[in-house]
Amino acid sequence: MPRALSITTHNASLGEAPLTPEWHSRTVASETAAHKMSFTAVPTASNSYQLNDSNEVQPLHSLPPPFTTTSSPGQTSSTKLIRQGAEALLYYTHFLSPSLPCALKYRPPKSYRHPILDKRLTRARILAEARVLVRCKREGVSVPAVLGAGWEEGWIAIEWVNGSTVRDAIFGRKTWRQENQASYEGGEKDLVGLMHKIGCAVGKLHQVGVIHGDLTTSNLMLRPTVSGAEGGEEPSATSAATPFDGTITLIDFGLAAQSSQEEDRAVDLYVLERAFGSTHPEVEHLFPEVLKAYGESYKGAKVVLRKLEDVRMRGRKKSMIG
Amino acid sequence: METILLPHLGQYPLQVGLFLDVQNARYLRQQLLDGNTEFEYAFLDAAVLLSREHVLAACFRAINDILQGRMKSKNVHSEIVFSLSPNNNISECFRRFGVGETTKNIVAIKVDNNASQIQEHLQNHVQGQIVPFTDETLASLRDEARVRKAYKVDSSSNEEAEAFIIGSMALKGS
Amino acid sequence: MPIAIGLEGSANKLGVGVIHHAAYPHSSHRSRQDSPLSSSPPPPLKASDGDASLTWPPVRILANLRHTYVSPPGSGFLPKDTAAHHRRWVVRLVKQAMKQADVRIEDIDCVCFTKGPGMGAPLGAVAIAARMLSLLWNKPLVGVNHCVGHIEMGRSITGAENPVVLYVSGGNTQIIAYSAQRYRIFGEALDIAVGNCLDRFARVLNISNDPAPGYNIEQMAKKGNILVELPYAVKGMDVSFSGILARIEELAHRLESSAQGQSEPWKDEDTGEVITREDLCFTLQETVFAMLVEITERAMAHVGAKQVLIVGGVGCNMRLQEMMGMMAAERGGSVYATDERFCIDNGIMIAHAGLLAWGMGFKTGLDESGCTQRFRTDEVWINWRD
Repeated sequence: MPRALSITTHNASLGEAPLTPEWHSRTVASETAAHKMSFTAVPTASNSYQLNDSNEVQPLHSLPPPFTTTSSPGQTSSTKLIRQGAEALLYYTHFLSPSLPCALKYRPPKSYRHPILDKRLTRARILAEARVLVRCKREGVSVPAVLGAGWEEGWIAIEWVNGSTVRDAIFGRKTWRQENQASYEGGEKDLVGLMHKIGCAVGKLHQVGVIHGDLTTSNLMLRPTVSGAEGGEEPSATSAATPFDGTITLIDFGLAAQSSQEEDRAVDLYVLERAFGSTHPEVEHLFPEVLKAYGESYKGAKVVLRKLEDVRMRGRKKSMIG
Repeated sequence: METILLPHLGQYPLQVGLFLDVQNARYLRQQLLDGNTEFEYAFLDAAVLLSREHVLAACFRAINDILQGRMKSKNVHSEIVFSLSPNNNISECFRRFGVGETTKNIVAIKVDNNASQIQEHLQNHVQGQIVPFTDETLASLRDEARVRKAYKVDSSSNEEAEAFIIGSMALKGS
Repeated sequence: MPIAIGLEGSANKLGVGVIHHAAYPHSSHRSRQDSPLSSSPPPPLKASDGDASLTWPPVRILANLRHTYVSPPGSGFLPKDTAAHHRRWVVRLVKQAMKQADVRIEDIDCVCFTKGPGMGAPLGAVAIAARMLSLLWNKPLVGVNHCVGHIEMGRSITGAENPVVLYVSGGNTQIIAYSAQRYRIFGEALDIAVGNCLDRFARVLNISNDPAPGYNIEQMAKKGNILVELPYAVKGMDVSFSGILARIEELAHRLESSAQGQSEPWKDEDTGEVITREDLCFTLQETVFAMLVEITERAMAHVGAKQVLIVGGVGCNMRLQEMMGMMAAERGGSVYATDERFCIDNGIMIAHAGLLAWGMGFKTGLDESGCTQRFRTDEVWINWRD
């Protein structure tokens, strides 16, 4: 098309018929361009951290060596694709022993990225994630354990976390409330409790000098606490089970970094705040409870909360023309 | 003795035996130093082993590294010992995790599928009592101080410490 | 038969467009003699998002004119000069647009203009023209959010039902998804827009601004192939370009000084080849576009979308479209983009979005018609959608 003209004149007039996508536009990259990732079944429903029965065995080439999808001797079941995230594929398999389930996170090469950039990024991200997880574990932050890592091949084997994501738990709350309308009279108390748990978990993380980098409700898991309390305690008759029971476990440290800067911590919280706003607008009004619990979780947290206001202002009022 | 198949590396079966109260540690060590081809084993000092998982993690790392062309030591068996160590100093590693002159309790591992032959050979040459290779037994044999020193942790008896150690093994050389 | 004229001038492009939306079914009783200012707008009609084949409302583009203020190479466009340019050209463009559209003043239902976001003086210059037309022609004013204009035009032209939108231009970089009558911002540039980064890089290398610096960078990048290392700054669903800009400017200076013989020729470590301006263009594009595709993919994964719509001036870039296409294909999705008539700032998108709002009863009173440099996309109530 002519580029040098400074007056561009467009006088196309269409009939009354509605526009079809082909007119004056392109649908770029059709479904025919099948690259290495030829998935036949990608879980489309929830992002919850659970096995989906309809998962099919994936073709061999979508797993890095030494992993295969077929049942090799030593495995009782084959490797299953759980989730195709933005940057990584998450598989359920076993590691070291048939009784040790694990989440295998694989960062396949991205065809859209320049190969040098791709390799550099993959390696850096696998290592960063593994290092951060190991560090967190050492400091007592609730995260899954690292079982193995192949940073040149792009994989990390992580302890399997049972439970559901906070995202799904909040979505599921509607149904749960409908079913338990009669017995549950806590109003929003369960949600407030959840928010507090989240605030504490993030506080603990920040306290040990780690920034998650991608705090969304899909990256917060509710891990069921082991039932059968020690010391023969009876479960309280008055506390009914809510969808938000369990320990908050942080997952997906693919964008995590080690930092103690207030600015970085504030941005971490801001990302979570925006995640609530965009994914769970109906509970957004309770987000201050997260911040309240965070503010009380470690010394210096309150300064971060003040910094958060600056970060918010930047988002609201900035002009992006420098 | 036990044949263990690692998921995903099932073509490389591990023959594993835990020997208590070994009398001839010096002899076994000498065979390794001499490079005696009949003694291609990984001999691990049970006092610094945390669990089956701990041992298997080292085995996985060793075998996988070799498959990907990253072997750092002479063979798969020395690589298993090497993988237990958090650092790259091979001789220190053998000192801490391998069999020494006075080692009493040994985990012997061979990557091989001939279970009966290996069991026979080990029973003939290791002067010790073979017992089931379990977490409970390992826990009873553990020398906390040595583990703490080897891995630079405050305590080794809790879950977090073990997870940290296995994680460090995964990250070694990065 | 709603018809609107739209005026856009938030940056250096002055656009005037005239658009026609097909008649709302209930409006047959409306008489042409009614003064548009006093008559009530047609009853609200909601777009049916689930119906892929029907883009609502069916649109006819009657005129879409643009004149760009191009600054000399090595310089950016200053607000004062840009405003002067807009003032110089707006009357001519409006007259020409009306002539081309072949509509009478009486046929126009509203005068739409960009309320923001953008540069203050240019926005103001165009707003003055819009107010003038509104008073002269006795038509209601409709202030439009520039980003919403891009999104609605993109949706209408491409037919994408519910895509994740990547809006990338000299002044904006946002990842947007529709939810509950708002265009919610999932991710954005934390410091400067990607287009701004590209434009400023162009200045350092004295790359021509005609027709646009980004276009020239794109052509040069096609001839580059060495990837130099640049920082890569993706933070969650946000991106940051100032670090990259600082580094690429440094590299550009280094290149210039070695080209002028002031220092050693700069060679790539691996291949030994001399690094060229084309290589820097290539490097910058590959890096910043990879970042944009990455956050788009994150958003898609997060909301479960299969479609991507790219809008805004940088959206014209074929390499960006290609990269986005590769990512989408791997996810079994598809990418929608428009050509330079619509992705570069234009008046028709303002007319279109304005008419959608007007159809729901929205109007901007004269006393509310001031412009605002900072106008968040999610501040607009998208009540023409469910």
